Amino acid sequence: MPVTFTFGEMLSARSVIGSTLAELGDEYANLWVLTPDIGATLVEFRDKFPERFIDVGLAEQACVGISAGLAYDGNIPVVSGMLPFLSMRALEQVRSDICYPNLPVKIIGTHGGLVGNGGSTHYAVEDLALMCALTNMTVTSIGDPLMVGEIIRQSMTMQGPIYIRLAVGKKDKVLYEPGQHEVRIGKGIVAREGTDATIFAHGTVVAQALDAAEELAKDGHSVRVVDMFTLKPIDEDLISRCAAETGGRFVVVEDHLAYGGLASRVADVVADRNIHLAAFERLGIPQVYAGFGNDEELRNKHGYGLEATITATQRAIAAKL
Amino acid sequence: MGHVSLKTGESPHTVEELKELAFELRSKLLHLCGTYEGAVHIGGDLSAADIFTALYHYGLDVDPGDIANPARDRFVLSKGHAAVCMYIAMAMRGFFSYEEIVETYGQLDSAYGMHPCKVQLPGVECSTGSLGHGLPLAVGMALSARGRRESHRVFCLLGDGETGEGSVWEAAMAARSNELGNLVAFVDRNRQLMTSFAEERVVFEPYPDKWAAFGWNVVTIDGHDMEQLVNAIDALPASDSKRPTVVICETIKGKGVDFMERNLAWHAGSLGASDLERAMEALEASREKESV
Repeated sequence: MPVTFTFGEMLSARSVIGSTLAELGDEYANLWVLTPDIGATLVEFRDKFPERFIDVGLAEQACVGISAGLAYDGNIPVVSGMLPFLSMRALEQVRSDICYPNLPVKIIGTHGGLVGNGGSTHYAVEDLALMCALTNMTVTSIGDPLMVGEIIRQSMTMQGPIYIRLAVGKKDKVLYEPGQHEVRIGKGIVAREGTDATIFAHGTVVAQALDAAEELAKDGHSVRVVDMFTLKPIDEDLISRCAAETGGRFVVVEDHLAYGGLASRVADVVADRNIHLAAFERLGIPQVYAGFGNDEELRNKHGYGLEATITATQRAIAAKL
Repeated sequence: MGHVSLKTGESPHTVEELKELAFELRSKLLHLCGTYEGAVHIGGDLSAADIFTALYHYGLDVDPGDIANPARDRFVLSKGHAAVCMYIAMAMRGFFSYEEIVETYGQLDSAYGMHPCKVQLPGVECSTGSLGHGLPLAVGMALSARGRRESHRVFCLLGDGETGEGSVWEAAMAARSNELGNLVAFVDRNRQLMTSFAEERVVFEPYPDKWAAFGWNVVTIDGHDMEQLVNAIDALPASDSKRPTVVICETIKGKGVDFMERNLAWHAGSLGASDLERAMEALEASREKESV
């Protein structure tokens, strides 16, 4: 059943995974869904296509290896689970079994960032750095729950592997009106126009960036927000354009290690293209194991919450080329 | 069950013919090991040479002229460091040119390297090399066959040493849980790791019991006895049965060349011209001894 939704409402991104896959299962008779014991959100697919649903139990390495075997044989496997384990315990399988032969395996999961209050074993905070390092891998991080469905849909016809990162995915804000933006893997979304500075973000942090821009607008600042949901390949032209159109003032905020994620991806483009910036503010998780607390508390504690984003953007706006 | 290739219509080889083919495979391996200047994993190639021969010239229903035929049996080389043995066995079956292998092995831009790469050499089923990765791949292929109601089998060759990897046992559980009777693992049980005799470092025994405890059919044979290999292949349960089968092949690392046999120095190495001659003489002597 197609998902119905309203702009601004909260929606479970996880439920979008299950319902989208259940829809696509009809269209793609070679679509398989695999999980290491994280099947609750996949019930719709499981019930509709039990013969193409494999729950291997607690066995991430085998789960990813099996998906590669299916892909070698012409199938489209989706592996769904918790990202700290898929991205690290099964990292070598992702790299050597999927990326090396460039197989069309989709890895989609939750717990990207300091979310879920599970402690550092259960936070994927290095995952984007790891995945971006892998040749052939496309890397995405999605905040808007409806985009999750769209990206899964687009990924069906991709040749190689893709990594799709979600936060907890239980209650996420619908950020965009349907049809408001062109959603295309590899293209950033200008979620809010502005000319004084650009905030780049991905995942659920985009909502926080939009809130920061809204606050700053009260002081007369015009802040652009870019939802850079594809980290690899990154939208280089959009980065260049933002530098030119927002005074060379960049803020990157993300729920990932401050070094190795989106900020590093943007900085690489800045260096490679010899872009001259007035400011480059980098907000993310420092080199700590973050401890417990809810998402907002942890972002605030570790310096990439709403207040920190506003302050950093104010600093950027004050900078001159 | 018959092992006439349904696609090529060739008659199955006799055990005597298979023994000759295994000798030829070993000769060719030694020749490459004597001419290529880099290291060849000759120990584990020689331990698996009879298994490769039995598979590529008897057990596998494959057609070198139609490598993408969906009905073909699949072969996953989990012990990827035995790639050169697979290349040559496949060349002898008509997949590749042996001369091309010898002339280009390990050279820049060659398709033939130390570990097989599906992208560079589409004739192989998959890219392997990191140990413990093959069985999960084979499980995926076996699931795919089940999903399509196809009756071919998926064969996977593992070294016993690599069954120290946890991912092997994850896959073993998945194979049993998904009732993959179309999956057949061959274990080259040469009882050596790279730097030690296996049992000195890792207690693998009771080895067959471990597989049995995971719910697999377990067959243990002499992996250098061609008749036992053929019988094991003939006795495989129907591919639509529910239990995967493991054929544990007791082997000798370096088999056929006395100075390499059970010698830790010959996990991998290179033979110079004089050692090549010595190795070929040893191989001949080994054949004569076994035929008595």
